[in-house]
Amino acid sequence: MDNENVYLPKLAKIINIKDEVNGARPIKTFRAQLLTETNFSHRCGQCAMVSVFGKGESMFAISSSPLVKDYLQFSIMKMGRVTSSLHSMKEDDIIGIRGPLGNSFPIEDWKGKKLIFIGGGIGLAPIWSVLQFALGQKKDYGDLILIYGARTSKDLVFKEELEELRKEMTVHLSVDVEEEGWKEFVGFVPQNVTDKKPSPKNAIAITCGPPIMIKFVIQALGDLGFKDDQIYTTVENKMKCGIGICGRCNIGMHYVCKDGPVYSWAELKELPQEY
Amino acid sequence: MEKILQKKSFPKWVEKLDAYEIYSPVKKDNTWSYEIINTPGDIELDYPNAVQAPKKIINPQREVFLEFGRSDDDTLEVTEVLPEEKSVVIFGVRPCDAKALTLTDLVFSEDIKDNYYGKRRKQTAIIGLACNTPPSPNCFCTSVDGSPHSEDGFDILLTDLGDRYFVKSLTNMGNDLINLGKGLFVAPKANEKKELAKIHADAEKKLKRQVNDVEKIPPKLKEMFESAFWDEESMSCLRCGICTYLCPTCHCFDISDEVTSVAPFKGYRIRTWDNCQFPDFTMHSSGHNPRPDKASRLRQRIMHKYQYFVERYDHYQCTGCGRCISKCPVGIDIIEVLNKVRDYG
Ligand SMILES: Cc1cc2nc3c(=O)[nH]c(=O)nc-3n(C[C@H](O)[C@H](O)[C@H](O)COP(=O)(O)OP(=O)(O)OC[C@H]3O[C@@H](n4cnc5c(N)ncnc54)[C@H](O)[C@@H]3O)c2cc1C
Ligand code: SF4
Ligand code: SF4
Ligand code: FES
Repeated sequence: MDNENVYLPKLAKIINIKDEVNGARPIKTFRAQLLTETNFSHRCGQCAMVSVFGKGESMFAISSSPLVKDYLQFSIMKMGRVTSSLHSMKEDDIIGIRGPLGNSFPIEDWKGKKLIFIGGGIGLAPIWSVLQFALGQKKDYGDLILIYGARTSKDLVFKEELEELRKEMTVHLSVDVEEEGWKEFVGFVPQNVTDKKPSPKNAIAITCGPPIMIKFVIQALGDLGFKDDQIYTTVENKMKCGIGICGRCNIGMHYVCKDGPVYSWAELKELPQEY
Repeated sequence: MEKILQKKSFPKWVEKLDAYEIYSPVKKDNTWSYEIINTPGDIELDYPNAVQAPKKIINPQREVFLEFGRSDDDTLEVTEVLPEEKSVVIFGVRPCDAKALTLTDLVFSEDIKDNYYGKRRKQTAIIGLACNTPPSPNCFCTSVDGSPHSEDGFDILLTDLGDRYFVKSLTNMGNDLINLGKGLFVAPKANEKKELAKIHADAEKKLKRQVNDVEKIPPKLKEMFESAFWDEESMSCLRCGICTYLCPTCHCFDISDEVTSVAPFKGYRIRTWDNCQFPDFTMHSSGHNPRPDKASRLRQRIMHKYQYFVERYDHYQCTGCGRCISKCPVGIDIIEVLNKVRDYG
């Protein structure tokens, strides 16, 4: 370990790119295979620094399940330098990957419990790895429920996969505003949570998405009787090193890149609100 | 190992260190800075503290991590660029700056190790000079678990006894350096040890500034996150960032790519010092900024040093060197800020 260069990315080849969302803030899902290493293993909720050489590095949640060994998957919204450059890449292009980084969801502790996944927009990416993992080990967990929404139906990611998912677990979708042909819930994700009233009994809620959504989802869950330690979320802060050294991503004494990004609400609410 | 070295023998010792790259405080444009010296005569050990701490030698302001490029057949090649292997000696390091290195060590090798920092740290011997008189009017090391003759972080500590140095080696690396000057060093006599103790005791009394009851500050800060105090204290800040660039314990950095040629494609991934007093430091691409104003950034600087670091590593992340006070263009004074925090409310 000591001789490993923690800043040296491993090269990986993009093997598949899928358009998820178009428009001003498009989202694409990338699958990449490491060129040399075959024993990359991550835990649910961990992230990786993805390099486009000449542009820089950015942190993304690994959205594939740890059970998938053939590739690593990232779903990426086009924002600036690195993400725009990734969006212009093609299959067979080479990127760099540093990781896995950060902590993970304590899924071992959740065995036997009902899991409620609550996501908004691109927030489904960090949820996806733990959701897929739980599905893969279904007998170990209670009911699995997904409550997911976006601004419009066009902004939902993993649309095809979501249809497949309905065969295996409960899926509640929503869009923010009324649109033609939409048969499911209309309103914000937190309102959908209140509407579907998941019971807190022997349950864990995992919520990722825009900070404002997370805030109201936590309120809604609290109203339903969820305790702070039954709610988990992930935190995003601007990052560079990803390993707790560059001093950029801290909230209080925590480096989100290393000590996070996964926190229970019980832990997070004790920290200064700097995210 | 304790020894005495006559000042007139000092250059002869340095001559024996010819296998090393040697840095020392050098006077440049009326200020002092740590530079590579060519002859022993260049070493000046009668100097106020240098503007920049020797952290720049261990953790340079710009450092190449990797080289990337495309070969003739268009394959992408990425190569790590590690620091050059060499043996380095830094003379004339002040106790506050040496202690600062022991603090950055905690960050750069917590459990994940930064080999760039680690390699330089390992191959560099730190030779200090105790401060018989405070080198800056804003020194307050004694308030933060330090002293003008603290040994933390040194391989060798010299104390000026007039025409001689009292030489104390603290590590094997220090012993090796002294052994290279065999014959020049003699054992200290009892009266010289007494003289040393007196100089050290007197030096502590000469410090003009202090933060009393510093241990009251971390718990106090914990209650002050939302306080309007930070707005008041940061009002005049120009967000120039000099306070953190010059701080020997500040270590935050940026990583970015520099393309030096488009065809053929070639460039470097570099680390550069960065600064929590800049708005961009924490600004997400979405425009959201968790630390959107001067108040939240001053709060971060003080809280990092006097609360978060204490919680994480059990040390203050400030060694009382006084640089941020002396160099702030608008006179924001960390000693005053800390004293106010302690007495706040
Ligand atoms: C733990 C974590 C997980 C994330 N997971 C995902 C994900 O699964 N999908 C996704 O689309 N986005 C994710 N993000 C956000 C993503 O990292 C940023 O959108 C991305 O870094 C923007 O980079 P850019 O170069 O395109 O933008 P620019 O605005 O050009 O940013 C320049 C650089 O600043 C840093 N930076 C800027 N904003 C952020 C930010 N919000 N977070 C971290 N670093 C930032 C990066 O180093 C970036 O390269 C995640 C962020 C974090 C912290
Ligand atoms: S040196 Fe002074 S003015 Fe400059 S950023 Fe620091 S506190 Fe602000
Ligand atoms: S915070 Fe100021 S006084 Fe303390 S070590 Fe840094 S520069 Fe020196
Ligand atoms: S990204 Fe560097 S400390 Fe977290």
